[in-house]
This record gives sequence, structure tokens and C-alpha cells, in this order.
Amino acid sequence: MRVEVNGLDKHFRKVHAVKDLSFAVEPGRVTGFLGPNGSGKSTSMRLMLGLDNGAGSTLFDGKSLTGHKSVTRVVGAHLDAKFFHPKRTAYAHLRMLGAESRVSKARVNEVLQLVGLESVAKKRPGGFSLGMGQRLGLAGAILADPQVLILDEPANGLDPQSIQWMRDFLRFYASQGRSVLVSSHLLSEMQLLADDVVVIARGSLIAAESMNTFLARSSGSSVKVRTNNVRKLAEALNAEGLALSVNAQEELRIPNVTTDQVGDIAFRSGVALLELTAETASLESVFLELTESGQEYRVGVPQSAIGGVQ
Amino acid sequence: MRSALVYEWRRLWSVRSTWVMSLLYVVMAIILGAVPLYLDSGAKQSWIGLYSSSGNLLCLIMLSVVAAQTFGHEYRYGLIRLTLSEFPKRERVMIAKTVILAFYVAIMTIVGWSVLGAVGATKPSRMSADVVGFSMSGSGLPHLWQVPVFGFAYCIIAMSVTVLTRNLALGVILPLLSATLIESLITGFASLAKGRWDWLVHILPFNNASAWMDQSTELHFAGLIFASWVIGFYFLATLRFHLRDA
Repeated sequence: MRVEVNGLDKHFRKVHAVKDLSFAVEPGRVTGFLGPNGSGKSTSMRLMLGLDNGAGSTLFDGKSLTGHKSVTRVVGAHLDAKFFHPKRTAYAHLRMLGAESRVSKARVNEVLQLVGLESVAKKRPGGFSLGMGQRLGLAGAILADPQVLILDEPANGLDPQSIQWMRDFLRFYASQGRSVLVSSHLLSEMQLLADDVVVIARGSLIAAESMNTFLARSSGSSVKVRTNNVRKLAEALNAEGLALSVNAQEELRIPNVTTDQVGDIAFRSGVALLELTAETASLESVFLELTESGQEYRVGVPQSAIGGVQ
Repeated sequence: MRSALVYEWRRLWSVRSTWVMSLLYVVMAIILGAVPLYLDSGAKQSWIGLYSSSGNLLCLIMLSVVAAQTFGHEYRYGLIRLTLSEFPKRERVMIAKTVILAFYVAIMTIVGWSVLGAVGATKPSRMSADVVGFSMSGSGLPHLWQVPVFGFAYCIIAMSVTVLTRNLALGVILPLLSATLIESLITGFASLAKGRWDWLVHILPFNNASAWMDQSTELHFAGLIFASWVIGFYFLATLRFHLRDA
């Protein structure tokens, strides 16, 4: 099911939290929703679900949420790891959430088992860890087997095994032709998980494209070379009009070039190569480049790091 | 609509506090029934009179806690966002909560009457002819319907205050304070003002509710004025619920 977000806009008094935001979440793909703290990700997700009042619309398969017969069969949302009554058991919580789409008791048990909470199903979640709360939230989101998942920071507080489980689960979920929109601050994780990215800063759209296209925006992709004859290779590369830099370990870095090109030049120059590595940009570096000016809350620099401690 | 009602029913009974409040309600009804019955007094007891008068306020507190929790728990724990992501049409949520609350009040009223009847059966010699639970006849019977209606109306006010303030405690305390203290104080001050503030006394919600319950002719249109307050609170709460971010 395709999700089309059109012109979302939201003010909190004088703060323009979301500015005319439009993007699409495609079926069969995991879409990462990225942005610095306070950039408007959670507000946008709430607007998409109709929880906040604002301008714009979100269409699920061409219809607004209220136009669908069963909402929970269309979209499952997990917005916070603590959205439960601390004294209502995990099982009762899911039974309650299952009322809209008449989910059976067997399905509740199945989902509890899927997220690894079957042993604490009859326990009150007030004592759950953050990770267990995330699992319960995810269980609620997938309970009615919806076509679209909207997840806000679902990996927060999860241990590495659980993160890997969630990644595999979401990829499997999307592979069945369903749409997944997931926000996260764990950029390395997002690079492994997401097929597409939507990046916002200060409420405005920065990018909405495939992960590969997004990574290609970076000015930081380069080729690293080690050789015994740095000078000869450097001359050959310069002769081809390529800029390069050499570090203290005598490693060459040539930006915006492929390993094929460098290998070919080295071969023609008769220079033996000890290492030839493509250094592609990480999601983190591209994200930081693009959102540098869009940070709502900037961190200070410790005095000791700038020589303040004598 | 059916699924919203099931959701609300499950929400209501899946927290311990609903059971605790309901149990306290029953205990309170037993105490309210037993104490006057076993006091050494020649007068006969009328359960309708007891149940619908000031003693009933203690039972109402238990009901109003459950009523305030209807929205109070949802706001306190962020559950309202889960609820509204399942039921984006907010009027459905409001209607479901109101209907289930009415049903809950009706159940508890029947339970309360049954308990009072059972307690009364232990001292049949002390019961007056119009005792509810023994003979469904007598002078109080035509006004029997007022007991659950007042209970429900009180709960609607508690629920509405909770929606307006997003604070469970205020939803319980404000109606209680108004019924027991604030209106008495206003009435007291008004009596010092040589009639200039009588109009204010005449429009106070619980003054009118009390007059309506007691069949008092002191206040005109008491039932209507109280109903206006209840509808006013409910309307404002519904409006707020619709317009405010979840």
C-alpha cells in the first residue's frame, strides 16, 4: 500500500514545526525517516496518523485513514515505548488494541511470541525495561497485520540481538509488499535497514530518495591506495587531472573516482598496488553534511577539547 | 461503533483500579446500609432516602474516579495516541466512552441497590414500607430513576473536567469540592449580601441537583438547570477533545 504525504504543515504557537512536507512511502520498501532532534519527525508522524491537527493530508492507497473500513488493517503505529498502562498486563493491553479489527486471542499469543514477550504476557508492563516496552509497542503495531507500519525510534533501548531481529523482521515485513516508515537516530543501523530515506531538518524536507542516491550526494566518497611508489603513482594520477592527498602513512586518497580508473592508471604506469579500496560515504557523514545547518538544538563543545584546561 | 465499544469495555475492566473502585463502592453501600440499620433508633429506614441523599456522595466518589479514569489514564500514559490511531474518528471514541460509562453506572447502581436490599433483609423490622429491594412500591419509587441519572450526570462532569484539564485528580476533586464545599461557601457568602447574589445560588449546579433529587420546590427548574450544567461541561469537553492535539 502506497502512502502519500502531501503538504503537512504544523505550527506550535510561534514555532513552525513542520513546513509543507511531502513525500511518499512505497510498498515493498523500508523508508528511513531521519532528522536531527527537534526536526519534526515525531510531529510529522502524528500528523500522518491524524493525532495532531494541522494542514496537509496523508493518503493510504489514495484514501485518508478515516475512509478505510478497518484502520488497524491499514496502518499499525508504534510511537513511544511507554504508551501503555503500567498496571494493565501485556496480554490485556494487546487484547484491548485488538478490538478494532477483532483480533483473536490466538493472534495475540502469536504476536507476543513473535516479539519474545510470551513469558511476561501476564505481567504488568510497569516494570518492563525500555527494550521490552519497544517490543510491546511493536507487538501492538503489527497485531492486526497492517499494510503500513509507522514506527518512531523503535530500536531505542534494544540490545544488539534485538536490533538485528528487528531489522530482519522489518525487511521481511516490507518484502511482503507492505510499506514501512521508520525513524531512528541509529544511522549505521538505518543504512543497513532502509531502502529509501526521507530527511528533514527544522521541519523542512531535505531529501526524499533511495538510499543509494542519497549516499551518492556525499562529497566524501574516495578511493584509498597503498603502494611502494607513491611519487610515481601520484604523478600519473595528476597527469590524468585527478586531485589527491597523501597522509602520514603514505596512503593516497583520490576523491570522486572509481577503483577501476585508479587500477587502470596504476597498471599503465607500471606501479604495483598493495591496496586499492573504495571508501563510500556513510549515511552518517552524508546526513551530517546535509543537516548541519538545520540542527534545532546544537551541542556545546567541552572546554577541555578546545584547550580550555591548562 | 461496536469495536469502539468493545475497546472501551476492555480498557475499563483490564485495570485493577476499576475493580478496586467497584469493590469499594459495594463496601461503602454495605456500610451506609448497615450503620443506620443497627443504630439504636426507633425510626424506620428508607433505602431510597438514604441512597439518594448525602450518604450517596461517598459512593459517587468511587464512580467518579472510574469516570475520570476514562480519559485520565489515556492522557497520563499516552494511550490516547494509540486509541486515536485505531479510531481516527474522535466522535466514536467520545460516544463509546460515554455509553460504557453509562452502562457501568447502571450496573453499579443495580449492584448498590441489591447490596442495600441484602443488608436490609438482616433487619426487616427496621425497614419502612417503601424499601427498595423488599417491596418495589412506596412513595420513593416514582423517583427511583433519579438515582442512576444523577450518578451518571455526576460522572459526566468528572469525565468532562478530566478532558478539559487532562488531569485525572482534578476530574475527581473539582466536582467533589464544588458539591461539598465551594457551593456551600458561595451560598453562605450570598446570604450575607442581602439577596443581591441569590441569582448565583439559584444557578449553582449541585444546589440544583440536590433540590431536584429531594423534590424540593425551593428552586425552580432545578433539574433543567443541573442538566444544562452537565450538557455544557460535556459539550466543552467534546469540543476540546476534537480540536486539541492528542
